[in-house]
Amino acid sequence: MAETSVDNSIILDIKHVSKSFRSKSKTVQAIEDVDFKVGRGEFISVIGPSGCGKTTLLRLIAGLEVDYEGDILLNNKRVEGPGLDRGVIFQDHRLLPWLTIEENLALGLTEDKTQIKALVKQYLKKVDLEGFENAYPRQLSGGMSQRASIARALIRQPEILLLDEPLGALDALTRYNMQEELEKIWMDNKTTMIMITHDIEEAVYLSDRIVVLDARPCKVKEIFTIPLEHPRDRSSIKFEEYRASVVSSFRSAVSNYSI
Amino acid sequence: MKEKLGRILNSIIFPLIILAIWQILGSLGILYETILPSPAKVVKAFIEIVKDGTLAVDIVVSLKRVLVGAFFGIVVGLVLGFISGLVPFVERLLRPIVDIIRQISLYAWIPLIVLWFGIGELSKDVIIARGVFIPVYINCVSGIKNIQKEYVELGKVLELNRSTFLRKIVFPSAAPVIFTGLRLAIGEAWTAVVAAEVLGGLTGLGYALLNAKEFLKSDKLIAIMFVIAFLAAISDVLLRQVEKRAFRWKETV
Repeated sequence: MAETSVDNSIILDIKHVSKSFRSKSKTVQAIEDVDFKVGRGEFISVIGPSGCGKTTLLRLIAGLEVDYEGDILLNNKRVEGPGLDRGVIFQDHRLLPWLTIEENLALGLTEDKTQIKALVKQYLKKVDLEGFENAYPRQLSGGMSQRASIARALIRQPEILLLDEPLGALDALTRYNMQEELEKIWMDNKTTMIMITHDIEEAVYLSDRIVVLDARPCKVKEIFTIPLEHPRDRSSIKFEEYRASVVSSFRSAVSNYSI
Repeated sequence: MKEKLGRILNSIIFPLIILAIWQILGSLGILYETILPSPAKVVKAFIEIVKDGTLAVDIVVSLKRVLVGAFFGIVVGLVLGFISGLVPFVERLLRPIVDIIRQISLYAWIPLIVLWFGIGELSKDVIIARGVFIPVYINCVSGIKNIQKEYVELGKVLELNRSTFLRKIVFPSAAPVIFTGLRLAIGEAWTAVVAAEVLGGLTGLGYALLNAKEFLKSDKLIAIMFVIAFLAAISDVLLRQVEKRAFRWKETV
């Protein structure tokens, strides 16, 4: 292998990836020839009509679905299964209800006890949940639970955070606050993030680039670059322009779908 | 508090009415005392067996059997249940056998068990264990198998090793279902002990029932029936307390 061809600024290379699901009677093409690269430290959003293979794409990167065509290269190694180099945030916070927040964050960590305690404290602070170590998930609101689940992913210091509609289940106001929270976390940690969303404003607010997917089969339709400085101002004219152009691209993706 | 009191009142008012009618009919001399003695007579018979100590002896004998039989039934049910829940191959082997055992009523098993194990303690323990085993096994298997796939996925994403995955995800998620199985099992144990003693025994509450019937002491018979109901109910209340404590994480705030 030619060492010189290794480009260190690219963390994830999705190369002509296709995935289909076979049932008895038919084969559904969930993803077809999706191809893009993700730079180290980038925030990428993936949007597309519901029912297109957005979540499948994320699950492939997470290693939860294997058996796909093409290559997903993480640091130049093909993804063949889950790994701690990738943190996953699901739409539901997926905290274990029988464990306290501290135990949830610490789940599976191998450091010694005092170290884990300190780590948990540090990461709860990052997501503004100090003092909730001993609370049970049922005692937390939706936004707080999702923040705890983000902390659970970050504590393992993944190279990439994969977010599957992480704010989709939250009410509008909480979602708005969480977007700012997420922006802050991203700016502080410099972790690469790939987020599935159906909220265009959210995508424009957070992302360096936005990948718009087409519906069935799911192909890349367009990739937008949003070169605005962080933290972003939603009321600026530039922001509104970017939002409008993504909306129109997304609209045509949706109308293709309905035909 | 007031609401709770109201609810308790709701659930005891109907039994109280029946009791009152029963007593009135008895006092009026309408009931044939040998067949259905009045509540007052039942209470009197109850006091009698408390005083002469026979009730205490019978309770101790039956309780011991319930504890021993349930212990073995639970242990076997949990061990086989866990293995079956975790290893599909074992479940496929065991399931048909368990189903056959289950389809044949516990009462139908008693003659054979007595034939094999005699009329001593061992056969009582086996009968109770057989009764207890079924709900424990079935709930244990379904509790483990029905773990939410989302949690399994989480275990993969966090790269938990097998032992952490079992301890922190599989067992806690199955625990409430397994506990329900245990509560059913204890109820089953009280039914089984009485059946075992009625059908083949010389001691215990079940035998006392049979004995009272032989001597046409229906007041004593009914008193013992109430005692059995009370013991089974107390067991369940105790287990419910344990359940509440063990699954505090489920409580709503």
